[in-house]
Amino acid sequence: MSKKLLDIKNLHSRVEEAEILKGLNLQINKGEIHIIMGPNGAGKSTLANVLMGHPKHEITDGEIIFNDENINDLEVNKRAKEGLFLSFQYPEEIPGVTVENFLRTAKSSITEEKQGIFAFRKILKEKMELLEMDESYATRYLNQGFSGGEKKKNEILQMAVLEPKLAILDETDSGLDIDAIRIVSKGVKTYSSDDNAILVITHYNKILDYLEPDFVHILVDGKIVKTGGVELAHEIEEKGYEEFKRELS
Amino acid sequence: MYNENLINNSSFKNYRLDRLKEYNKLQLPEWKRIRLKDFQIPEYKEYNNLQIPIEEKLDIRDIKEIREDINEFTKYLRVDEEFGVDKKFVTLTETFYNTGVIVKADRNKIVKDPIRLDFHMDEKNPIVLDHNLIIAEENSELTIVMDYTSDIKAFHSGVTKVYAKDNSNVTIVKLQRMESESNDFDSNIAFVGRDAKVNWISIELGSKITSSSFITNLKEDNSEADLKSIYFGDKEMGIDLQYTMNHYGRRSLSNIETKGALKDKSKKVFRGNLDFKKGSTRSKGEEEEYVLLLDKTVKSDAIPALICGEDDVEGEHAASAGQINSLKLFYLMSRGMSEKEAKKMIVEASFRPIIDEIPYEDLREKVQENIHGRLIDGEA
Repeated sequence: MSKKLLDIKNLHSRVEEAEILKGLNLQINKGEIHIIMGPNGAGKSTLANVLMGHPKHEITDGEIIFNDENINDLEVNKRAKEGLFLSFQYPEEIPGVTVENFLRTAKSSITEEKQGIFAFRKILKEKMELLEMDESYATRYLNQGFSGGEKKKNEILQMAVLEPKLAILDETDSGLDIDAIRIVSKGVKTYSSDDNAILVITHYNKILDYLEPDFVHILVDGKIVKTGGVELAHEIEEKGYEEFKRELS
Repeated sequence: MYNENLINNSSFKNYRLDRLKEYNKLQLPEWKRIRLKDFQIPEYKEYNNLQIPIEEKLDIRDIKEIREDINEFTKYLRVDEEFGVDKKFVTLTETFYNTGVIVKADRNKIVKDPIRLDFHMDEKNPIVLDHNLIIAEENSELTIVMDYTSDIKAFHSGVTKVYAKDNSNVTIVKLQRMESESNDFDSNIAFVGRDAKVNWISIELGSKITSSSFITNLKEDNSEADLKSIYFGDKEMGIDLQYTMNHYGRRSLSNIETKGALKDKSKKVFRGNLDFKKGSTRSKGEEEEYVLLLDKTVKSDAIPALICGEDDVEGEHAASAGQINSLKLFYLMSRGMSEKEAKKMIVEASFRPIIDEIPYEDLREKVQENIHGRLIDGEA
């Protein structure tokens, strides 16, 4: 069986009138953890949103191949069913829908199998324990009144329950304290297997201490300008992105 | 025909003859805003479906069974001010009612269990002209649930008068789930005493034309009223809502919270009035209406009004209409839900807190099923 999960070829995208992605290439195989780093405005979150099918972003050129299928025009919910997951940087609040109800509905949609209340509750409880979340979260309205850290944990909880093939974590570590980063990273590592892959978009290096990525990519001005291992992230930590920006100009 | 012959040999005769004079002077309204035109009141029929519940702590009577012409209730039936959806429909029911209850809670009677009145319309009982009088004496508490349903095209014109005396607490829950070609007109008025509270809960789901009016007079110091409502319109439905809070007493409080959703070619007009009369110092009123527009073909009007005859009051109003936020949709769809499922979830979630106020599990379920079924109806 092919190990190839995602193949992005020459991807160009636009939001309103602005071109953001300008010919991005990236391959991800099953079992790998990839990190994308880059300065503000480089297009990191755009890449995450374009992959998931955000309604305001338009693909103007190139291809996204996921599971050997071109998903450029696939509806958002069908991408989710194919196994794509995005941990949102700013998750929406949905008053009136409890975390448990929401996740059970989502799991039923993705698997196309009705989830029994009790069996599902057991899975949920297990995943919540792993993320050191209090049981009471299950009965709270989705993201309403959650702190920044709680929202991010909740995103990881959703990932753990929905079991996607490719999880894209958009700035999941930003705004988290050290303990929260440790817990979230533990959740991500537990989920990570030979069968799935993780794409982490981040500003910081802290999460690298826990995640042991296979590849680090530097994204500047809508393109991946350099790919390497963990050492690349440390280089950035010391020198910043100036060198990469200069190379472009 | 609707004439004197229907009134002879029955209760409250003088009162009803007075109302008949008014009735005869009036014309039926035409409301372009919700497509009410050339309306004909259907022929008079008896209504015999109402089961009068028994609750030993309350005095509950069938309004048709009261025999004396003038009695302790006459003064409560006579309301001096104009109220209701329209004078013609109000006087129709006041004069010719074919059903209704008089419920009285004596002083200090606290009744926690709700009283349930099912007004079901069918082939033999296709019209309900219900005239209801609710009297809560000092320090009493009661809850009444009125459920209007039909399995045929039916006609409902109702009048409910509520007197909540000092320090009493009255909750009135009204559900309208009539068949989709039906016509529904419902007029409600309350008089709220010192430190007393009236809670209205209105669930508008059925009929082709539905018009409801709730007027609350906060007469004394610390009088309080809450009105929570939801509505769901689809197909060619016309929904007309008129909610008024008249503040007379000092430090009186009111709150209106309305949530709705409109689909297909439905139309809705919401009018919410907060009227601070002279002397209602330090009173506070709030109203909020939020409607989700599920199709571009719907029409939604909201006319919130704040009338201040007094300086030292606080009034807040907000009305907003929106399509479902595209970022919320994106979020839910990214978790596998189709656009329809995601919209359904958002609409149902916004209604849930108000549905939860219905004190019967079977009714809560029926309301949810009704909305659920119509949200997925027409799915491609």
